[in-house]
Amino acid sequence: MISITKTPKIAIIGNPNVGKSTIFNQLTGLNQKIGNYPGVTVDKKVGTMSYQGSTYEIIDLPGTYSLYPNSEDEVIAHRVLNQLSETEKPEYVLMVINSSQLSRGLFLATQLIDLGLNLAIVLNMADLATKRNISIRTFEIFKALGVPILSTDARGEKGLDQIRELIHTRNFSKKGSFLAIEEVVPITLLEEVKRKFNMSNNYQAYQMLRFGRIDKVIAQADRDWIKSKLEEINFDLAAAQLEETKIRYRKITKIVDLAVVKESQPKNEKSGLDGIFLHPVLGYVIFAAILLIMFQAIFAWASVPMDLIDGFFAELSGKVSDLLPSGPISSLISEGIIPGIGGVVIFIPQIAMLFGFLAILEDTGYMSRVVFLMDRWMRPFGLHGKSVVPLVSGVACAIPGVMAARNIGNWKEKIITIMVTPLMSCSARLPVYVILIGLVVPNKTIAFVNLQALTLLGLYFLGIIGVLGTAFLLKNILKTTEKSFLMVELPSYRSPRWWDVILTMYNKSRTFVMEAGKVILAISVILWVLALYGPPSRMDEIRTAGEQKLALATSPEMEDQIHAETSSLLLENSFIGIMGRGIEPVIRPLGYDWKIGIALIASFAAREVFVSTIATIYSIGGDPEDDLTIRQKLDQQIRPDGEKVYNTATAFSLMIFYAFAMQCMSTLAVVYRETKGWKWPLIQTVYMTALAYLSALLVYQILS
Amino acid sequence: MLKTADQIPVTQTAVIKEIIDSPLKINLMELGFLPGKEITLKFSAPMGGPMAFKLDETILALRKNEASLIEVQLL
Repeated sequence: MISITKTPKIAIIGNPNVGKSTIFNQLTGLNQKIGNYPGVTVDKKVGTMSYQGSTYEIIDLPGTYSLYPNSEDEVIAHRVLNQLSETEKPEYVLMVINSSQLSRGLFLATQLIDLGLNLAIVLNMADLATKRNISIRTFEIFKALGVPILSTDARGEKGLDQIRELIHTRNFSKKGSFLAIEEVVPITLLEEVKRKFNMSNNYQAYQMLRFGRIDKVIAQADRDWIKSKLEEINFDLAAAQLEETKIRYRKITKIVDLAVVKESQPKNEKSGLDGIFLHPVLGYVIFAAILLIMFQAIFAWASVPMDLIDGFFAELSGKVSDLLPSGPISSLISEGIIPGIGGVVIFIPQIAMLFGFLAILEDTGYMSRVVFLMDRWMRPFGLHGKSVVPLVSGVACAIPGVMAARNIGNWKEKIITIMVTPLMSCSARLPVYVILIGLVVPNKTIAFVNLQALTLLGLYFLGIIGVLGTAFLLKNILKTTEKSFLMVELPSYRSPRWWDVILTMYNKSRTFVMEAGKVILAISVILWVLALYGPPSRMDEIRTAGEQKLALATSPEMEDQIHAETSSLLLENSFIGIMGRGIEPVIRPLGYDWKIGIALIASFAAREVFVSTIATIYSIGGDPEDDLTIRQKLDQQIRPDGEKVYNTATAFSLMIFYAFAMQCMSTLAVVYRETKGWKWPLIQTVYMTALAYLSALLVYQILS
Repeated sequence: MLKTADQIPVTQTAVIKEIIDSPLKINLMELGFLPGKEITLKFSAPMGGPMAFKLDETILALRKNEASLIEVQLL
């Protein structure tokens, strides 16, 4: 059935940590879409709610304390609520307030009233307020504001039904204004703005004056007009804003005094869990322990589905190439597209699990404590307490790390965090490290310390040094007028809402597949073309020679050997092989030959590709996943001068190169998505490659 | 005696007198750091790290820099 009436749009707004997203998740369930707002990194969350045969579109706005343009989040709230874009214009606004933080919530709510919006208020977490011996006379608030108020607990099913009912009955109301903005802004100026932008509301005109200079959605000519108007009368917006804040809070305090009844203030409150979690010593020990458990779990649990995905796509490739008549199409699908998709899907277990853990830490309220504990140690490097989360994620995988950096409000700190996170030693570096360490570091134990383990640990530390050094460098290069600050609420501890955790895991994985997947797939196909095709005459010659040899083969072992040798020759003569030879003069000072050059180019897609590529180059038949066969084969490679190719100097040089080089197109794609352009991913790739090259050069020259 | 909030000893309560003019003044005020409100220092991160104040029913963490913008009178 096609409904003729337009689906009503309802925007949900509120301060951070008021349970706003829980309400959104419960109302919409899996019917959510995550998109982008133009020009900013804030996710646009829209979902649909069905209730008693009607459908409603719900928009989840970012958590904010006010409609002042302090961050991208608030610009979005402003943009949506001021209806600058008609398609996003919500008919109704549901304001969620934490019952124990009434005045802070009313601050935003009264701003919304002044904007002339159709508003209803949900006083959430009523249970928590009761626990703190606070009771709220909602009627007093209703009397003062004139908009419907629902006092409830949205964690329970009853509370949610009340909210659904409220939306369904359209129990919203538009109240003239709470505060007369004409008291702080000249009415003549407001009138001019209203005429110019065809507005009817004074507060909206005032908002336009303040956001107009910042929001890039507004046409340059209009922005210039606003600027000139402000300069004309020499109007101090900042002072007006302070004045507005004072008046607003004064009026709110009067309401709160009437509405809130505190029964017996519990004296001598215990600091409870925070006494342990924020302890100057114990706090850090607990944080380290939580990290350890988290990574242990991710490495142990994620490897199972990752192996399954790996196996599944390998099998699928094989099946497809058997089914389709052999030729370029079959090869494109089985060797280009399927492994390309596999290369995207393989990251899902890690991304989902990391975000699952992060969501639990966030939801319980622990994450803000981490920010509190770590801020002091991050700041000397131009990072923020909130940078800890991306960096820590980076140990498993840089992709969720970069995605988590969006919570950092300050532009400079966010860019620095995104730029340095891929330098943390992620799990994809591990296969490369393991093979090379096995090759050149003796498996000996000296004073209880295994040398191989020590080397691996050293590589992880190297990553951290790279992070801190680079961050420090960027801190001194990047310029910003934005002031760095930390104002974060430490919310009460709560048990995680599992449904929210699962939705976060699902949404983040989906975002990654949808947004980064395209870039990854494109690069995979390009690399496939380069590896498969070469100068046709030369390639044909190799194939014919291979077939001739195959005809003479007497045993299956011999056939395998010939197959492996032929693929190795084909790769050597393909375009990627030619490129590998081409870069040989450049990589020779690092101790690499052209075969390693091929592996370097091929593993630009992902570091672990290094292992499978060298397996092909050195025509290692059988199971290329078997470390031992690869290791033996590498150990036998001899240079023309009789020296081993993989000697200590070359192996360490390679390890250092992989520690620092970008070599991960998925990270590149995510950085592109998060910074909304190619500038930062390109700078990052060039920087990391240069850092890797110079460090590897230094190491090789010292060791050889 | 007038002090700034970064000088409040742990577990002590003070009443806010004024927020010193700065670009962050508005951010502090919208969080509810307003003249007349009482704040209690609950925790302080080591080595001059952030400070956690109790304001009304919530705990808010500020850096020392931000806390020094809040003029208080110890109770």
